[in-house]
Amino acid sequence: MSAILDHLPEFWEGLIVTLQLTAASFLGAAVVGLVITAMRVSPVGVLRGIGTAYVETFQNLPLLVLLVLAVFGLPEIGIKADLLVTAIVVIALYEAAYIAEALRSGVNAVSAGQGEAARALGLTFGQSLRHVILPQALRTVIQPLGNIFIALTMNTSLAAAIGVVDLTAAANRVNLMEAQPIPIFVGAGLAYALIAACAGFVTGRLERRLVMVR
Amino acid sequence: MVSMKRMAAVAAVAMVGLSACSGTDSGSSAVPGVPGETKGGDLLAKAPVAAAADILPGSTMEKIKQRGELIVGGSLDAPLLSQQNPTTGEVEGFDADMGKALAKYIIGEPKVKIVNSASETREALLSNGTVDVVFQTYTITPERAKQVAFAGPYYSSGLSLAVRKGTAGIAKPEDLNGKTVIAGANTPAIPAIKKLAPQAKIVTFGSDPECMQALKQERGDAYVQDETLLVANAQKDPSVQVVGQPFTSDPYGIGLKHGDEQFKKFVNDWLKKIQGDGLWQQTWKNSIGTVVQGEAPTPPQIGSVPGS
Amino acid sequence: MSNLLFDEPGPRARRRIRVATVVGAVAVLGLLALAVRQFAANGQLDAARWQPYATWPMWRYLLDGLWSTVLAAVVSAAIAMAAGLALALGRLSRRRWVRLPAAAYVEVVRTVPALLLVYVVLFALPRYGLDLPLFWKLVVPLAISNAAAFAEIFRAGILSVERGQNEAGLAVGLTHGQTMRMIVLPQAARRVLPSIVSQSVGLLKDTSLGFVVSYAELLYSGKVLATYNGLLIQTYIIVALVYLVVNASLSKLARTLEARQPRAHRPRRRLARA
Repeated sequence: MSAILDHLPEFWEGLIVTLQLTAASFLGAAVVGLVITAMRVSPVGVLRGIGTAYVETFQNLPLLVLLVLAVFGLPEIGIKADLLVTAIVVIALYEAAYIAEALRSGVNAVSAGQGEAARALGLTFGQSLRHVILPQALRTVIQPLGNIFIALTMNTSLAAAIGVVDLTAAANRVNLMEAQPIPIFVGAGLAYALIAACAGFVTGRLERRLVMVR
Repeated sequence: MVSMKRMAAVAAVAMVGLSACSGTDSGSSAVPGVPGETKGGDLLAKAPVAAAADILPGSTMEKIKQRGELIVGGSLDAPLLSQQNPTTGEVEGFDADMGKALAKYIIGEPKVKIVNSASETREALLSNGTVDVVFQTYTITPERAKQVAFAGPYYSSGLSLAVRKGTAGIAKPEDLNGKTVIAGANTPAIPAIKKLAPQAKIVTFGSDPECMQALKQERGDAYVQDETLLVANAQKDPSVQVVGQPFTSDPYGIGLKHGDEQFKKFVNDWLKKIQGDGLWQQTWKNSIGTVVQGEAPTPPQIGSVPGS
Repeated sequence: MSNLLFDEPGPRARRRIRVATVVGAVAVLGLLALAVRQFAANGQLDAARWQPYATWPMWRYLLDGLWSTVLAAVVSAAIAMAAGLALALGRLSRRRWVRLPAAAYVEVVRTVPALLLVYVVLFALPRYGLDLPLFWKLVVPLAISNAAAFAEIFRAGILSVERGQNEAGLAVGLTHGQTMRMIVLPQAARRVLPSIVSQSVGLLKDTSLGFVVSYAELLYSGKVLATYNGLLIQTYIIVALVYLVVNASLSKLARTLEARQPRAHRPRRRLARA
C-alpha cells in the first residue's frame, strides 16, 4: 500500500493528464463526429464519400499505429505539436469515426415522417438537420455515446506508448521504482473504473431525463 | 463499393500467399546468403567445442547437448548486439554471436533458439527453466544476483549522451537538470537520469529509432542510451553527435539459473578460453567493432564485479 | 434513408450541390497535395527510403508478422467468445449467485484498459512465479477484456429473441436449458453475427499491443524492421496500410452479413467498442 501512498503526487499528475486527454479528445471527437455525420447524410455525393472514407479509415486502423505515425510522421510534413496535444488530436479523430457511426444509426432511427414534415415546412437541409433530426437522433444514442466515452477513456492509456505520462505510464514508472505491481496496477485500474462509473451515472441520468415517450 | 471489393480481393490474395509461404519456408534455404552471414559462419567454424569430459553427466550442459539446442533469452531489436535481420531471419550482433558460440561449445553446432524477453521477465524465465542462458545487456548487480547466477562479466559498456549537432550547454549528465531528456522505455537510462539529474523531464519511446527520430524532431534536448548504440546512430546520421564519456559502467553478465554453480563454472571456463584464443576479440570486431574505431578492448576480468 | 433529408433537387439546389462538390473535392485534394509536398520536401519520399519495401524479404517478414497477428486474434477471439457466451448465459440466469458474479465481471472488466491488463500479465504475474510464454502474454489479457464485450453482444442477441419463442419451448415440455440451447441460441447466434465480426475487427486491432509485449505480431515486426533499416516512418506507413486492407475486408464482411438480415431482427447494438 505504501507504494501508492509514497507516490501519490505521480499518480495524481498521471490522473490529471488522463482526465485532460479524456475530456479534450471526447469534446473534439463529438464535434468532428457531428460534422462527419452531417456530411454522410448530405445531398452532396463527394461529401458523403469523404465522410464514408473517413469512418472506414479510422475504424480499421489500430489507434496505436495512428498514434505512432502521427508523433513521428506529422513533424515531417511541418506540423510539430506537443506530445499531449498530438495524442488528444489523434484520439479525437479516431473516436470521431465511432461517434459518427453511432450518430448515423441515430439519424436512421428517426422516423422518415419527421424529415418529410421538416421539408414540408420549407426548412433547408441544414435547418432540418439542426432543428428536427439531430435533437431526436442524439436522444436515441445517449447510451452508445456513453459506451464510446468509456472506450475512449480506456484508449487514452495508449498515449503512454508515445511518451505521454498519463495514469498508465505513471503506474508503470512507479512500478519500475517500487516493484510492487499488484497494488500499483490495481490502484490504477480502480481509477479508470471510477471514471467509467461516473460516465455511466451521467449517461443514465441523461437518458432518463431526455428519453422520448413514443 | 467496387474499391471495397477490390480491397477484399487483395486481402484474400495476401492471405493465400501468406499461408503458402509460412508453410514452405521453415528453413532458410530459400534465402540467398548475404556477405555478413559467411563472416559469422567463418567465426563460428573456428569456435571451440568442449571436451566430452567437460559435459558432466546429469549437468545442465548435458541436458542442453541432448536437446541439441541452446535456448537463449535475448532481443530481436538491439542493433549491433542482438538484432534480427529480416532478410535472413538470423539474429546478428555481439550478444547473438556469443550465444551461438556457446551453443557450439556445448553441442558441437551453433544451434540456438532465441526467446524474445522483456527485461523485467528475465529472472522468471531463468528460474522456471524457460531459457538456459540470457545474453541481453544484462547488467550484473548484487540485487539481481539474489535471483539469478551471473557468469562473466563478458562485456562492459555504459550510458552516454547524444544531442543534435550545435546544441550548447550539455556535456555531462548533471547538465540535463531542467532539460527534456529522451530515453528508451523500461531501459536503465531512466533510473540513471533520475539519480544524476533529478530535475530532468524524461520522455520515453518504445525503440531506438523512435528515440532518434524524437531527438531529431526536437522532442527533447538529449538522448540517453548505451554508448555503442549512440556511436552507431551518430555515424549513420551526421545531424546527431555523442558528447562526453560514458557516465555509468555496466558490466554485462550471462544470466544463468540461480544456484547452478556447475554450469556457471563451465560458462566461465568457456569465456576464458575464447578470450585467450582471440575469438571474443573477433566477435567484437564483427559487430560493435564495425562502428567503434580501434582494436577490441580488453575484456573485463571474470568475476570482478559484485554479484558475479 | 437517402431521401430522408432532401427531395429531388431543383435547379438551384443542383447548382449549390455542384458548388459544394467542387469546394469539397478541392479542399481535400489541396490538403493531400500540400501534405505530400511537405513530405517530399523533407526527403521522406526519396526512392531510396521506399526501395526496401519493393523487395520480397521485407514483405515476407511483415506477412509473417501478420500471420502472428491473425493467430493471436483467432485464439483470443475463440477464448473470449466461449467465455463471453458463458458470461451472457450467467447474467441471464435465474440464480442470483450465478447472475451477480457474471454481471460484476462484465461491468468491471469493461472499464479496465487492455493495456493495464497487459502490464499486469507482463510485470506483475512473473513476480509471483507465473511467467507465461510471449504469445499468451498477449492473448490472455485480450481474451479477458474481450470476453466482457462478447458477453454483452450475446446477451443483446439472446434478449432480442421474442419471448414467445421461449414460452413456446417451455410449453412443449422442454427444460429451460433445452429451450435455450435448441430454440433461443440458434436464433440469437444468427442475429449477432455482424456484431461478432466487427468486435473481432476490434480485437485484431488490439493485437497491436504486441508492440508492448514484444510478441512478433505485425506492429512489433514493423518495430524490428525499423530498428534494422532505420526507416521508421516508411515502415509504419506500410504497416498501417496492411492493417487497413485486412480490417476493411473484415468490416465489409460484417456489413454483408448485416445486410442479409431482416431489419426487425437486428438486436440493438450496445457499441461496446470504440
